[in-house]
Amino acid sequence: MRIGALWNKLAEPKNIPRLFAFSLGIILIIGLIVPMALNPDQLYVRPAPQEQIDQGLAIAPYDRGGEVLSQAGIINPQYPENAASLGMITGYMSPLAQWVSSVSPYFGTSIYSSPGGLIDEILYYTRGFDTILESSILMMSFIIASWLSINYTMNRKNDENEIKKDVKKAISDSANVAREVKANDEKARAKQLRRDN
Amino acid sequence: MDFGTLGGNLLGTISLGDIVLYLTPFNLFLFAVLLGFTVLIALSKPETQIEATMHYLNNTEVTVGPKEFKQRRFLSIICGIASAGAMITGDLFNFTLFMALVGILNIGIVSAVKQTSVLNSAFNYGLIAMMCSLPLFGGAAIILASAGTLSLAVLSQMPASPMVVFGAVLMLIGILGESGVAPFFASKAEMFRTAGSPFIVIIHLSSLFIIVRAVEILLLVLW
Repeated sequence: MRIGALWNKLAEPKNIPRLFAFSLGIILIIGLIVPMALNPDQLYVRPAPQEQIDQGLAIAPYDRGGEVLSQAGIINPQYPENAASLGMITGYMSPLAQWVSSVSPYFGTSIYSSPGGLIDEILYYTRGFDTILESSILMMSFIIASWLSINYTMNRKNDENEIKKDVKKAISDSANVAREVKANDEKARAKQLRRDN
Repeated sequence: MDFGTLGGNLLGTISLGDIVLYLTPFNLFLFAVLLGFTVLIALSKPETQIEATMHYLNNTEVTVGPKEFKQRRFLSIICGIASAGAMITGDLFNFTLFMALVGILNIGIVSAVKQTSVLNSAFNYGLIAMMCSLPLFGGAAIILASAGTLSLAVLSQMPASPMVVFGAVLMLIGILGESGVAPFFASKAEMFRTAGSPFIVIIHLSSLFIIVRAVEILLLVLW
């Protein structure tokens, strides 16, 4: 293929998402052979898998210790000096969560189990700015969606080009129908003639 | 690579918990230019276009209605502020969030237009922006998993492991798609072909500045 034809294909907006998806797929496949090297000394550390389950803790595998407002739990921020009272609500659980964890040993494995205090500390204390940004992304998409649903800019009923295209299609369709009718007519006449002779 | 070699002396930091914005002359300059441009956009009125009609003697005028004008001005101002924020952020994940916000706003600025050809290419750009969330956030997550941190100040002192390089490449393709650099330019370039110039220009300007900033961030992470 000549390179000019290739450039022309690249200039068509319809082809771009396909090209992007293709190149992303290739990079992801290359990613399968990249050696994994996880850093064990991470931000927001968590205990090794199965360690807490073997100890028989009630909210395993997410027990990080600490008592609400008196003793800090195990949580490791990037800049400890910016979050002086971090860890004070790590161990907080709602009354309902406390009751479930007292009657069931599987509380830690369920979806509603991640200790509420920990998530709050990360979302609103150490990484609060990210949370603001995330919710503003959502807000902007709601603004755009409500504008589109009220004003309906995609309405193509009165678009001139669209009407022209439709008219062209209707003309060619009716021409096709006429041709078929004519062919059928001739066939029927030939049949009749054969029968008469 | 160090901050000093890339952006000049570190003038100070703004700490918001774990997210520390840092100020160097380079970043401050980009920040100030974008904010200045945003102010200009907030004050200006949109241009109109006259299109010649083929085979006939009449011209069609493409104007921006008052409702459309308000919506597009609002989204452009937010877009300017978001890209200005991306210029001084010191956190990798924070940067990808700013990037995603700019992408959404770019679609929003164009979605108020009532020209179907523009809307078609905006739709195609939207598909790319949607796909980009995977490499952007995935790349940041991979860098977090292999380096153990998201702070650029710490990352810049670390040697890059193969997994960090892979994360950076993933982020790079996300940034390329989101800001519409070649070879993914066509859908974004077609989006500009409409009236209402200052609002359209912020789409272009935000992706331009974000590319510059992304190069700086990738150098900090990889070198």
